[in-house]
This record gives sequence, structure tokens and C-alpha cells, in this order.
Amino acid sequence: MVSAAAIDDSSLQLTFVLFLTVVVITLFMALLTAPQRDEISEFYLGNRAMSPLRNGLAMCGDYLSAATLLGSTGLVALTGYDGLMYLGGTTVAWMMVLLLIAEPLHRTGRFTLGDTVALRLPRQQRPVRVALAVCILAIATLYLVAQLVGSVALLTQFTGVPSGSTRTLCVVVIGAFVILYASLGGMPGATVIQIIKAVMLVVGVLFTAGWVLHHFDWNPNALLERASQRSGSGLSFLEPGLRYGGTVSNKLDFLSLELAIVLGLAALPHVLMRLLTPRNSGVLRSSVLWAVGLVGAVCFGAGIMGLGATALLGRETIESTDRTGNASVLLLAHELGGSVLTALLTCLAYLTLLAVAVGLTLAAASSLAHDLYSEVIRKGRATETEELTVARLSGAVIGVLGILLALVAWGANTATLAFLAFAIAASAILPTIIYTLFWRRFSAKGALLSLYGGLLCSVLLAAFSPVVSSAPGSFYPEADFAWFPLQNPGIVSIPVGFLLGWLGTVLDKGPAEEPSAHEKFEVRMLVGADD
Amino acid sequence: MPEYPPRRDDTPTFPLPHIEQTPPSRISDHPEFHSLRRAQRRFGIRATVLSVGGFLLYVLLSSFVPAVMNQPLFGRLTVGLSLGLGQFVIMGVTAWCYVRHMRTRVDPLARGLKSRLHETGSRRARTTAPPQGAGQPLRPGARGFRTW
Repeated sequence: MVSAAAIDDSSLQLTFVLFLTVVVITLFMALLTAPQRDEISEFYLGNRAMSPLRNGLAMCGDYLSAATLLGSTGLVALTGYDGLMYLGGTTVAWMMVLLLIAEPLHRTGRFTLGDTVALRLPRQQRPVRVALAVCILAIATLYLVAQLVGSVALLTQFTGVPSGSTRTLCVVVIGAFVILYASLGGMPGATVIQIIKAVMLVVGVLFTAGWVLHHFDWNPNALLERASQRSGSGLSFLEPGLRYGGTVSNKLDFLSLELAIVLGLAALPHVLMRLLTPRNSGVLRSSVLWAVGLVGAVCFGAGIMGLGATALLGRETIESTDRTGNASVLLLAHELGGSVLTALLTCLAYLTLLAVAVGLTLAAASSLAHDLYSEVIRKGRATETEELTVARLSGAVIGVLGILLALVAWGANTATLAFLAFAIAASAILPTIIYTLFWRRFSAKGALLSLYGGLLCSVLLAAFSPVVSSAPGSFYPEADFAWFPLQNPGIVSIPVGFLLGWLGTVLDKGPAEEPSAHEKFEVRMLVGADD
Repeated sequence: MPEYPPRRDDTPTFPLPHIEQTPPSRISDHPEFHSLRRAQRRFGIRATVLSVGGFLLYVLLSSFVPAVMNQPLFGRLTVGLSLGLGQFVIMGVTAWCYVRHMRTRVDPLARGLKSRLHETGSRRARTTAPPQGAGQPLRPGARGFRTW
């Protein structure tokens, strides 16, 4: 854990004032733009007349979490090459969205992923909607807890290990803001905070990265040279294997992590929901392209920041402040720009995790209200007002659930929780999306099997991995039931998810869907129905 | 005053009525429809394999043949680091190719098929019911100024 407070008092006060200002302003804007009519389409999709740039910023905001800003930069600062590969994975994952998922999903979707699948499998849509809602709830809760736990970890940078009451206060305040934004603001409110956050993120990261490069006279070679000198590991800092090297299982673990990131980030529920908001597929395409550029730029900048942190501060300083390296961005900011830049970047980090948490809560709430309540429990007979009330209520319930779980699991590693969420998304949601969009024979049984199977497989493998027991940093270090050697279940659970989807479809002997359903779906997917 | 139009004012029911009215065999048996499907699918799969598969290959190479990746290229820049930078370049090129492919190969086909779809739909609508203007949805973005 952290030995001392990383940053002095003045920047803590400055951060506090800045964060409050930004939150108050965005909250006002969110409430001003909040849904004014009792229409579910406005609550789920927000302002549909937005320009591609704004949509792209909102996508970038949904996509990049505090884990990318703090965690990956820290990983680069401590492990060099391996950390850079991790950032590369985050960037490449967005290509999956652009090339395979975005446009077909937008053309066939309405409010949730369940609507797309229901269009494809109209007869047996109800059980599939339930399964989708369960998976989305699991992913969103895990990722939400990761964000809230991250807020405690961020607080630790300032005050040292916080007392129980400070910790509770931090989680409850952030969680309350999340509920306010998601339940009252709906998608319009979430969009406001995503755009503000994304602008701050892009500007903040590129500005700091530029400052680092300026420090080295815009000579990247000097930056690399200096970073490897001060990394404590010499040239091997710029070579693979510093973190995930050595044994074969370590290397497989890294591959497993990269698989989960590349395939899972594209299937996170709040990212998928954001894809449905542009008004037509032309706007969607330009938005996703903007997001490609913005995500690439932020990841590139984060890499430079990580290298800069090592080059300017040295490994010992970073590691003595926080073993995981999460403090490196703030330490770098303090070194470069004093307390002002530190306060700005801390505020940015808080805003980032707040915004991602809002997106997740909204995605889970819409899935519960639309898929579970309106389509399954009320069998499509719920009025819009009713569904809207349920959506707002489930936003609050999910927020409270997240707060409670985060208070219980506050010592958990943010990255571990996030990686498990990616693995579930990649092994449960992604196979269903891909098969639904591209496989003619895909049946409801296949969907159910791959959704539940992928979810169970990744959770079970994680439970029997060194994350939970036997390793020094795990939840139960004394017990040892870790028969699965890897920390990341992706390399097994993703193929299992796809295999189960195929198996369920091939073995499905029940009443088939009408062939016209698939043809209708395909016409809609390729030719489109809107614009 | 910004407006928040619902997604489809003209077609409130979920499966669109003018698609429902078209016998599906009409449009999906069309050779143009097949080439549209092929064009979109083939490019999507190839490009994904290139960019995502290329990246995973890069991760594998870095893990299992570090000797190759560690060869110095220029100053402190090794083969591995420059391949990592290359991922960003590949991404940019793939995105550019995607847009060009969609613009030249896919969009014209889809547009042609869509007008055919609307034609059939409105002809059927004319025979069964008075025309409802299903082919002209609202253009919410058509305002007097350009948003950023």
C-alpha cells in the first residue's frame, strides 16, 4: 500500500474546489438537458441531433476509464515495454467496434442490445433478454465497483491510507453523484458529463505529454534513453518481459489479458449503448472515426506520460509512493506543473471515473427496465411512463448496490475487477453479438448457452485463480484453491463462450425461428431502415 | 431551442411496416443484395483479422521471440518498439481503407436497394392504403447552422 501522502495539502484543497466546481456545473447542465418529456427514447438515447465530433467525444469518454489514465500510465512507468503493449491493446480494441460491430448494431438496434437480438430471434426473445440482462448487470456491477474502489485509491494518493469513515464518505459521495446523473439526467445528462470529461481528458493528456517531450527538446530518443537509465532495470525497460516475462504461464497470462482487452472492451454494455445514439449510420461512422483518433491520441499521450514519469522521477520515487504505479501521473504533474497541474489532473481522474460509472449505471438500468421489466415481466405492455420510472429506480438500485459492494471490497485491486469485467464481456456478450449479426443459423439456445456459459466460465475460472487465493496480493492469501494458473481467464473462457454458442445452435432441436426473421434482420442490417 | 426527436416518428412499431409488407424473398434474393453482403462482410473480416490479429501476433512475438524484437533499430528504438508504433499506423490506414471501401463499394449498393425497397413499399401502400410518406423520415439535423 501507500507509505506516505504523495501530494501536498495545497493541491488537495485546489483539487477539492476544482472538482466541486466541475461537478456542480456539469450537474446543472445535466439537469438542464435532462429528459423533459416522459419518453423512453429520450431517456435511453439522449439528444439524437448531435454532431459527429460530439458523439465521438462522448464515445471516447465512455470508452476510456480512470484505469487507462492512471493504471496504464503507471504500468508504463514501472514496466516500460509491457505497459506500452497494454496501451496498444486499448487502442486496437476500438477497431473491433469500427470494423465489425458499430454499423450493423446501429442499423438493427433500438434501445438495448436485447432489441437487436429480439429482432433476430423474435420467438424466443424473452429468455435471451433475461440472459443478456443478467450478463450486463454482472459486467456493469463489477466495473462500477472497480470505479468506486478506484476513487478510494485516488484519495489514498493525497491522504495516505484513509480512515474507515473517510473511505465511506468518499464512496458514498461519488456513488450519490453517479445515481443523480444516471437517474435524473438519463442519457442526455450522461452525454454532457462524457463530453466534458473527454475534452478535459484529451486536452490534459496531450498537454502533459507535450510538456514531457518539450522537457526533452522534442527528442524521443532522449526520453527513451533517460527513462531506461532511471528505471532501475537498464535496457530491459525497453524490452518485453519486465512484468509478464519469465515462465510460459506468465506469458500466456499476458496474452490472455490482451485477448480480454481487445475483445472485451468492444462489448462493454455502456460502449454498445453509446453506439445506438447517433441519428443515422452516416453520423455514426464519422463519430466512430473521431473516436478512433481521440482514443489513439490519448493512449499515445498516456504512453509518453508514463515514460516521462520514469525519466523525470525515477522508479524508486514512483514505487515508494504506490506499489502499483497508479500515482505516477500525479507525481509527474507535480514535478512538471506544481500543485495547479496536479489538481487539474486529479480532478480529471475523478471526473473520468465518475463519468464511466454514470455510463455503466445507465446501461445496466436501461437493460433492467427495457429488457427485463418492459419486455419480459410486462410482456411489452408497459407504458412509457412506467418503464421510465423503472429505469430511474433501477439506476438508483444499481448505484446503491455498487456503493455497498465497493465498501465491502474497498481493498480490491481496481485493475483485477476491471479485467474480470472485460473477460466476461468478451466471453459472454461478444459471441452473442457476433453470431447474431453474422451467423444465419444462430438460435436462441445457442445464445442462452453462450451467455450463461461464458459468464459462469469466466467467473469460476477467476474464483479458482491466483487472484482469489494463494498469491500474496489475493483476497484469501492463506487459503489455496487456485488450480487455474492464470490471473486472467480470457484465453480459456472466450473460446468456451464461442464454442458454447456454436454447440447450442447445432444441438438445438426445438422449434426453429421462421427463416423470414433472419432475412428481415439481414435486410435491416445491410440496407438499413432509418435515414 | 434544441429538439429531441424520438427515433422514428413515422414508424412507431418496432419491425418496420414497410419491410414487413415486402415479401422478404424479393429483396434478399436480389443479386445486388448478395454482393452487398459479401462486400461488407469480407472487408470487415479481413480488416479485423489484419488489425486485431496483427496486434495479437505482435504480443505473441514480443513474449516468445524477444531476441528479434530487441534488436536496436535507431538509437534506443528497438524493432519491438517501432512495431508497436506501427500498430497506430496500421490502425489509421485500416480506418481510412474502411471509410473508402464503405463509400465506394457498400454505400451505393445499399442506397440502390433502399430506394427499391421504398418503391415496393410505397407501391404496396398505394394499393392497400393511402400513402403515408414512409419514405421521408424527419431530418432533425437540418437546421440553419452547422453544429461543431
